[in-house]
Amino acid sequence: MAAVGKQVKQLMEKTGNFFKIYKQHGGVIGNFLQIYRTDELKLGNEVGQDKYGNKYYENNMYFYGRNRWVQYSPGVNMDYDGSQIPAEWHRWMHYITDKPPTEAPPVDRKWIIDHTENLSASDKAYVPFSTTKPKIESWVPPQVAKK
Amino acid sequence: MLASIARTFSRNVGQQIRQVHKSAPVASDSLFVHRDTSYNNPDTKFDFTEENLKRAESILANYPEGHKQAAVIPLLDLAQRQHGWLPLSAMNKVASYLSMPKMRVYEVATFYTMFNREPVGKYFIQICTTTPCMLGGVGSDVIVDAIKKKLNIKLGETSKDNMWTFIEVECLGACVNAPMVQINDNYYEDLTPKDMDDILDEIIKTDKLPKPGPRSGQDNRFACEPKGGLTCLTEEPKGPGFGVRSDL
Amino acid sequence: MLRLWPLRRVFNPSTIASLARANSTGAPEPVEVFVDDRPVLVEPGTTVLQACSMAGVEIPRYCYHDRLSIAGNCRMCLVEVERSPKPVASCAMPVMKGMKIKTDSPKTRLAREGVMEFLLMNHPLDCPICDQGGECDLQDQSMAFGSDRSRFTDNAFTGKRAVEDKNVGPLIKTVMTRCIHCTRCIRFASEVAGVDDLGTTGRGGDMQVGTYVEKMFNSELSGNVIDLCPVGALTSKPYAFTSRPWETRKIESIDVMDAVGSNIVVSTRTGEVMRILPRMNDDINEEWISDKTRFAYDGLKRQRLTSPMVKNAEGQLINCDWEEAFFSVAEKLLGSGGSIAGIVGGQVDAESLTAFKDLMNRLGCETLCTEEIFPMDGAGTDLRSNYLLNTGIAGVEEADVLLFVGTNPRYEAPLLNARARKSWLHNDLQVAVVGSPVDLTYDYEHLGDSTKVLEELANGTHPFSKVLNEAKRPMVVVGSSALQRSDGAAVHSAVTSIAQKARSTSGAGEDWKVLNVLQRVASQVAALDLGYEAGVGSIRKNPPNILFLLGADEGTISREDLPKDAFVIYQGHHGDQGASMADVILPGAAYTEKDGTYVNMEGRAQKTQLAVTPPGIARTDWKILRALSEILGKTLPYESLKEVRHRMTEIAPNLTRYNDVEEANYFKQSNELSKGVKSQLANEPLSPPQQNLSDFYMTDPISRASSTMAKCVQASQAESKH
Repeated sequence: MAAVGKQVKQLMEKTGNFFKIYKQHGGVIGNFLQIYRTDELKLGNEVGQDKYGNKYYENNMYFYGRNRWVQYSPGVNMDYDGSQIPAEWHRWMHYITDKPPTEAPPVDRKWIIDHTENLSASDKAYVPFSTTKPKIESWVPPQVAKK
Repeated sequence: MLASIARTFSRNVGQQIRQVHKSAPVASDSLFVHRDTSYNNPDTKFDFTEENLKRAESILANYPEGHKQAAVIPLLDLAQRQHGWLPLSAMNKVASYLSMPKMRVYEVATFYTMFNREPVGKYFIQICTTTPCMLGGVGSDVIVDAIKKKLNIKLGETSKDNMWTFIEVECLGACVNAPMVQINDNYYEDLTPKDMDDILDEIIKTDKLPKPGPRSGQDNRFACEPKGGLTCLTEEPKGPGFGVRSDL
Repeated sequence: MLRLWPLRRVFNPSTIASLARANSTGAPEPVEVFVDDRPVLVEPGTTVLQACSMAGVEIPRYCYHDRLSIAGNCRMCLVEVERSPKPVASCAMPVMKGMKIKTDSPKTRLAREGVMEFLLMNHPLDCPICDQGGECDLQDQSMAFGSDRSRFTDNAFTGKRAVEDKNVGPLIKTVMTRCIHCTRCIRFASEVAGVDDLGTTGRGGDMQVGTYVEKMFNSELSGNVIDLCPVGALTSKPYAFTSRPWETRKIESIDVMDAVGSNIVVSTRTGEVMRILPRMNDDINEEWISDKTRFAYDGLKRQRLTSPMVKNAEGQLINCDWEEAFFSVAEKLLGSGGSIAGIVGGQVDAESLTAFKDLMNRLGCETLCTEEIFPMDGAGTDLRSNYLLNTGIAGVEEADVLLFVGTNPRYEAPLLNARARKSWLHNDLQVAVVGSPVDLTYDYEHLGDSTKVLEELANGTHPFSKVLNEAKRPMVVVGSSALQRSDGAAVHSAVTSIAQKARSTSGAGEDWKVLNVLQRVASQVAALDLGYEAGVGSIRKNPPNILFLLGADEGTISREDLPKDAFVIYQGHHGDQGASMADVILPGAAYTEKDGTYVNMEGRAQKTQLAVTPPGIARTDWKILRALSEILGKTLPYESLKEVRHRMTEIAPNLTRYNDVEEANYFKQSNELSKGVKSQLANEPLSPPQQNLSDFYMTDPISRASSTMAKCVQASQAESKH
């Protein structure tokens, strides 16, 4: 009997979680979009949000390593990337510190430049200039005076 | 005291420093490439004189038609005699006179050491220091010293007044009367330092070359005949037909 | 001068031999000699070295060279001969009956080792920084025949012999310390190039090879001394420190800088032409090439068309892709209403010429011209023998009288001139010139530069006519520039009748050809074979709305000759005059970048091979035309090189008979037809456009783009001022 009671309790808990998750992600469409973007639904407390719109969650119910996660800004849509997390959140996400920047904000220095994501494989990717002379010099057509 | 220490020091240090590597020094008296100078360039004025042009023509006449270039050595010599030495323009002149490529004339002029491609003094002293002259008689070394002392000039040098040029040469073929010097075209043989002084004195005094030949023997011999007079061939030479069979 | 025929004839071994023969039965009696105990039968008068090479034994040598006189000063070819007290210099020793030559005996090996040791005593060991490294005779032979250790001790610590470097112009780099005094360069300069600029100065250990005064090596064949030099004393200045022979791929090809069609080897590395070397072909270039052939390759890397271009709204040419270029060309061509004309330039291959002609004909265009003019009166270009160098380049050696009319072969065809010099030197060729008195490196009779001389020669009143008529194998060479004058047809008919007359009196038979035309550009013969019209006269008369330039860069037609709204398409490899006036540019391939067929001035078809790929998105020319035809909806019926060549064979079968000269012999007919020529000889003197060495270097789009050639022009202009 006690076993049945335990199972019922677990079932109740899971159903409760299900509804909590359902609620957290905002209805049918919200859940669908979440699964579409990240392939999973997680329940957690929002720890904070950075200026790019990424939201950070924590739920210690999950085991270590999966208990902190990021919900990328809806603005980037499917083009989310780990390098979009700014430095101050990066340290919290990687367990370098337990205090999120909401609790221990980073010292603001004037020389700190704005965070950029990794631009490799995009058209803004850094390409080093060639130091070798081109083997072939192309002909440059004579310039026509602009009217 | 201090000076002598400094001298010793510098000498010792000097010996310690290894000689900086350098290429073999040019053994001959001049380079085998031409460098334009103020006195020797393609525009240096040179032309055969009327008289020498006639000479050149008669030299050319010695060689068969189509072999004009055989006259290159005599003509270069003619040019050198006229100009005192052989400037580039003289070589070019000879080349155009013989209508042969300039380079072929340069080859000849650089090959023969008797063509002076740099100016020489009025009196051009060539002393032989090859082994027979170095060993024969009093030896060429003392003659070299005598000339150096007399003219205050070093080997391979031209005096400032352009009167003397003094160089060392290889065998001039007068070994029998060693030591010897050649001054311009004249050979002076069988020399002693005193003879050398006399010769130079006479040149300085009279500005003329003294009589050439050996300075010893019966009032300066003609050539290399014995000092004590002829020992054979003393009689008059026999005429033609001497000792021939009478029936011939 | 070198040419002393009476003596030379006497001392010529073959003359001696032939005299000996004449005295006896008359049949040449071969001499039997034994090379390492193997019997070989050789002609009397051959040298020991040649006999050995006939027996398949290569004797090491530095100073000996097949095409130069024998010097015998390097001593590397010493071999032991039985019953000879000393080793003999095999290059200078004629064979004798029953000679027993030992090429690998201990004595021979010791002799070689000794010579190597002496040479290396004064040769710097700077192989790692020497450009000859890897193709150095001294390196190879010291490995093969030298001692494995040196006995060289610098007792006096004076160092090895050092010689100062000479400056002989922008092409040849000299490091004279490396010189081993083989004198090959000197002999080349005085015998082949005919320019006595090099010589030895000084004597003994101080001897040096050089020019004595600082001057440029003033020859159009100067680059060959680089190949001749067995060590690294003379190396190529533009190629200095760029690559090593073992790094390069060597592709055999053909030169297109002139109409000689010299055989070359293109050395490439990482898709870049590193240098160009000659390839042996006794019928054409022997083993020499001209400086333009050898050094203009840096022009292949400059001023290149690497991408198609179209004019934008502002009239500025901008890069685009092939599709855009093709569509703009197709739109114009289809909407032209048939008022199209085409001009082909001097470096176009026969494949492109075929495709171009097929395409244009399909578009209803028949005005297809070459840049070079050729008189169309009389037989014109219908008879092939009219525009070829019929005697052939090697034929110069058989001729006994050679008449040049209005040409300077020294710069228009340097290797033909080298042949003429060779023949003048060894076969007593008699040369005469009608035209400007230019320096041909050998003596000739100058008949004057007026056209009156031609008239007199044609009607036999000129004193030289007698010489021509008495000649056994006369040759008349008329320059293509003389035929480009307004009275070109009259010049051609005059020359034809001179030649025909000389031929009839020579008694040389029907297969000896007298009339020769010296073409100046590589594509001309192929273009005329394919039926192109010579000269742009018809375009000037009847200006088209659309002009298609296929590599035409000489500016024969300018914008002023065309209607205002004319559309100009340029297809080619260099941004030169043609590209500057174009509305659309289709980038093609230069001669090192395609498999092409070129027909040289003799009518000999030869192939170039792809050495590097065309730069950027440029493509092979016939493929561009094929692609364009598809867009125009007039697809050409060939897709591969093989099929194009098949089509070429259909039009002109000689174009694919490679390395062969197709005989052309219609002189009588041509002479008959030329009698109908009405035009009169003009009064202006016959003067070829290339008079001085500085005119020689830049004549086509490739050499005009080359900075090496520009330096040569500067240097030779400065030199001529002296």
